[in-house]
Amino acid sequence: MESILKALALIADPYVLAVIAFSAAFGLFVGAMPGLTATMATALLVPITFFMPPVPALAAIVTASAMAIFAGDIPGALLRIPGTPASAAYTDEAYAMTRKGKAELALGAGVVFSAIGGIFGTIVLVAAAPLLAEVAIRFSSFEYFWLVCLGLTCAVFIAQSAPVKGMIALFLGLFVATIGLENPAGLPRFTFGTTDLMGGIEMIPAMVGMFAIAEVLRAMARTQAHLPPPQPVTGSIFKGQWALIRKYPKQTLRGSAIGTAIGALPGAGADIASWITYATSKRFSKEPEKFGTGHVEGIVESGAANNAAVSGAWIPALVFGIPGDSITAIVIGVLYLKNVIPGPLVFEKSPDIVTALFVIFFLANLIMLPFGWAAIKTFKHILRIPREMLMPIVLMFCIVGAFAITNSPFAVGVMLVFGLLGFLMEENGFPVAPVILGIVLGPMLEQSFVTSMIKSDGSFLAFFARPIAGALVAATILVWVAMAWRGFRRFRMGGAPAVSG
Amino acid sequence: MKVSDVISGALFLALAAFVFVYAQTLPPMPGQRYGAGAFPTLIALGLGGFSLLMIAQAWRRRAGTRWVALADWARDGKTLGNFLLALALILVYVFFSERIGFIPLSIAILLILFWRQGIRLGTGAAVAVVATLAIQFAFSDMLRVPLPRGLLAGYLW
Repeated sequence: MESILKALALIADPYVLAVIAFSAAFGLFVGAMPGLTATMATALLVPITFFMPPVPALAAIVTASAMAIFAGDIPGALLRIPGTPASAAYTDEAYAMTRKGKAELALGAGVVFSAIGGIFGTIVLVAAAPLLAEVAIRFSSFEYFWLVCLGLTCAVFIAQSAPVKGMIALFLGLFVATIGLENPAGLPRFTFGTTDLMGGIEMIPAMVGMFAIAEVLRAMARTQAHLPPPQPVTGSIFKGQWALIRKYPKQTLRGSAIGTAIGALPGAGADIASWITYATSKRFSKEPEKFGTGHVEGIVESGAANNAAVSGAWIPALVFGIPGDSITAIVIGVLYLKNVIPGPLVFEKSPDIVTALFVIFFLANLIMLPFGWAAIKTFKHILRIPREMLMPIVLMFCIVGAFAITNSPFAVGVMLVFGLLGFLMEENGFPVAPVILGIVLGPMLEQSFVTSMIKSDGSFLAFFARPIAGALVAATILVWVAMAWRGFRRFRMGGAPAVSG
Repeated sequence: MKVSDVISGALFLALAAFVFVYAQTLPPMPGQRYGAGAFPTLIALGLGGFSLLMIAQAWRRRAGTRWVALADWARDGKTLGNFLLALALILVYVFFSERIGFIPLSIAILLILFWRQGIRLGTGAAVAVVATLAIQFAFSDMLRVPLPRGLLAGYLW
């Protein structure tokens, strides 16, 4: 109770409230703008949060990411272009509703069920995280080693159509993490005598490069198609929503629960949650034949799921320091910078900040209703901003953001290299998120590996000896075997390209 | 630009080989068998292993695929130009921002990119100046980031 009051006091600060309002508007704008993703919204905010105390910094990221995931629904329904990949699953459905004159109902369901899903995910986060932390507190370096291995492998396994490319991306990230002095032995590695590399590759410029500059380069390499004018939204978007809640309670609950679970799984985020729940919704629906013709049921379930996933992804991030998706990968980097070390001890060492974080989650999902309403009503005007102007400004913003971290042009160079790398990787079917996960988790993996090796006097067997470690090993190896099996079968079948999804 | 997985795999394999050799030159920690080289060695093995796997997979289905295929944007002079220009302008910033300063360089970069995107000069110039000053205000005045002053040193507030 005391810590809740303290947390409320931390948030009631006008500065924090202003940050929340600004980030909400920013997240809605980026999410609603076709071509700019929620991950990009987070990546662009990070250089600014770098200069904030922990609570407003986290508030900015939580609010912007939740808003951006919802706002992706708006161009989906009105232009048939998903604003973020997380809305892609039901874009056709929402647009079909708009064509039938039910744009208000589709968008209203987007806002309302996004908020419900987000709040559901938050409740699970608040309840589950401290419980998990009590188990995790007994973990030693052996368990951590396997946990990170498991998390990293899942990241590659779940999301990827081409696991081999995901693994290569992951090892590339782990390699980047070894550059510099920051290692258990304190020896300069891969620095080639340059002082700039001594401090290692900073996570923020690398991430801004991979998630934002690569996006800018892609926009440059493409002739901008002119967007059609959006369908008008005239009626009230909240009308009829209560009836939907009463009509689809099971769908809402299932979407929220599956979304939270998928978010919590390392490596899978809002995008996958919405695809899977759209499918479950159709599978269990009493009227599956209506799907695709402008039927709201799938939007209810997957709209709740993608926002539930945003909250769910924070469970492993807070408790173990293992990101649930690419946004929380960025968040973990930010937490380290703020000296809030994610892990089971975070609940004892920074209880106020954790409680404040929970309150922010509730707040962000509640203000989604008024802010979302405003975004829908002003969408026509948002679209008037010429996209050709946006990308150069984003580019300039990235340059300054990367520079601001170390005040050196070297960071801008790092950003450029990773931007080009990210662009080329995506062109060739390599996922980029595992690179960032590798950079963030590499130091932790090495630390726990070396500590364990020293403790066990160099015996690999010790990695399998403890009971919890044993279970984690079993789980990790199971995923590896499944992956190898999948790869092997594909190999036997003459290497037919994988089906994505 | 799409290169064959055989080529990209070979590049990653070369990186893995380099990391492996480099890691062997790192001394062990005093009194320990495992030092700074142990973890990079593991990474090199992992990276190398998966690169080989990818090469093997791609080799089996190499029939009909090209070693290097240029994407549409890389054949079109305009989009290729835009892409290279963006890269070049970032490089210019890396090497000349200290001397020229943020404000003039940012206005110039924005103007050039706007012009390439077909925005009218007047509009482009106005937006370039306003956006630059907004970024300068946000980062330099509010966040106290020492953005390079360059040519304008002595004239700025």
